[in-house]
Amino acid sequence: MNVIKESSGSQLTLRIQGRLDTTTAPQLETELKASVEGVTALVLDLAELAYISSAGLRVVLMAQKIMNKQGTMVVRNVDPNVLEVFEVTGFSDILTIE
Amino acid sequence: MNGTMEQNVLKLEFSGHIDSSNAPAAEAEALAQIEAQPHEGLILDCQDLTYISSAGLRVVLHLRKLEPELKLVNVSSEVYEILSMTGFTEMMPVEKAYRTLSTEGCEAIGRGANGTVYRIDRDTVVKVYHSADCLPDVQRERELARKALVLGIPTAIPYDVVRVGESYGSVFELLNSRSFSKLIAADPDGMDTYVDLYVDLMQKMHSTHVKPGDMPEMKGVALGWVEFLRDYLPPEQAEKLVALVEAVPERDTMLHGDYHTNNIVMQNDEVLIIDMDTLCVGHPIFELASMYLGFVAFGEVDPNVTLSFLKLPHETAVRFWKKALAKYLGTRDPEAVRAVEEKAMVIGYARLMRRTIRRDGFHTEEGRANIELCRTRLADLLPRVDSLTF
Repeated sequence: MNVIKESSGSQLTLRIQGRLDTTTAPQLETELKASVEGVTALVLDLAELAYISSAGLRVVLMAQKIMNKQGTMVVRNVDPNVLEVFEVTGFSDILTIE
Repeated sequence: MNGTMEQNVLKLEFSGHIDSSNAPAAEAEALAQIEAQPHEGLILDCQDLTYISSAGLRVVLHLRKLEPELKLVNVSSEVYEILSMTGFTEMMPVEKAYRTLSTEGCEAIGRGANGTVYRIDRDTVVKVYHSADCLPDVQRERELARKALVLGIPTAIPYDVVRVGESYGSVFELLNSRSFSKLIAADPDGMDTYVDLYVDLMQKMHSTHVKPGDMPEMKGVALGWVEFLRDYLPPEQAEKLVALVEAVPERDTMLHGDYHTNNIVMQNDEVLIIDMDTLCVGHPIFELASMYLGFVAFGEVDPNVTLSFLKLPHETAVRFWKKALAKYLGTRDPEAVRAVEEKAMVIGYARLMRRTIRRDGFHTEEGRANIELCRTRLADLLPRVDSLTF
């Protein structure tokens, strides 16, 4: 997994590439916690995310909970396989997917 | 067009290709069936429907005007795509047909009482159920797991339900994990670490609130157990037992319902919960009671029961329970721990007694010994336990 950060002011875009699973989710969690302070608009760009496991979903949920307190979060460009997971788990009801 | 009635619901089979050339005929046929058979609900079974054009969609809309509760089932992926693009899936309940999956050549990685688990690819397994009758239970468990997942409880993703031969399967995320039972058995001296992780997850769960109606209420279930015992306990004991359970306040706290060390697993550094079919809400005393049963009471008459169930020696299981309870309560005061343990024992033995009786326990030596154990324990506990809450 690769995370590419694009930051401008209080806006942060994280482009997550590859597989977000039990081995890589902790890395994203660390990355998020380190960079989300002061951010009011978070974008998760998942165009190149090929797979998400339950561990990955939990990090996305954590990000959503943080952003509920300090701003907004949008999940963008979701690959069909990952979208299927969001839908089957009910995550599509709690995330803002564009 | 075939029409069948089941429990006052009329099911019409839509099949083939429905477009402007045959849509009026399909509508006329459907209306004739609706007229002819009095019913309370209408389902369109789309199992053999391969295509539907806008003219066909208008028929569905028209039927829905007559039958606001209209539901479409067994919809193929292709037709679902059309319904989704046109917004129909937002307007009315549409259920996709189950995918068909073959387990031929797949590695069987586990066998349980009600199914076999096969690995289908790098990331997923399918649990194939021995009986096709279990479909409602399968769907119930998946629904509970989904709700837990969205509430942040770490568990495997339940993907879809699939058809496997004559039966059904449930596709899950593959966990490369080991159960706490196995981890403790391999490293009994490291027990304290596992106690901490186990209790952390339990506390996370017990601090999760569930929307009313989303999960069954444990108190009602427990009331059923104790009411059952009215025929088997002295009246004053039965009376007190029922009153104790009735006095437990209702809670929206999430409980697992079967929180023992086989169901808690570790994958890398993550701790996850599996077997979500017993998820419920209620006062945590019900969780503790079920834990007491699993770690202690099941194996009291015959310690081999614990060994075959948890793959742990009975004394190890008992030690784990005592440590976990103290950690959960956040106290080292043995009397405070004992007081809560006794409350858990009241429900635990009541449940064990009912369970043993219902499983023909009066007719086996071991059953009679278990019933006697429960009787003795309840006779001892009930006079001095005055509340089940803590």
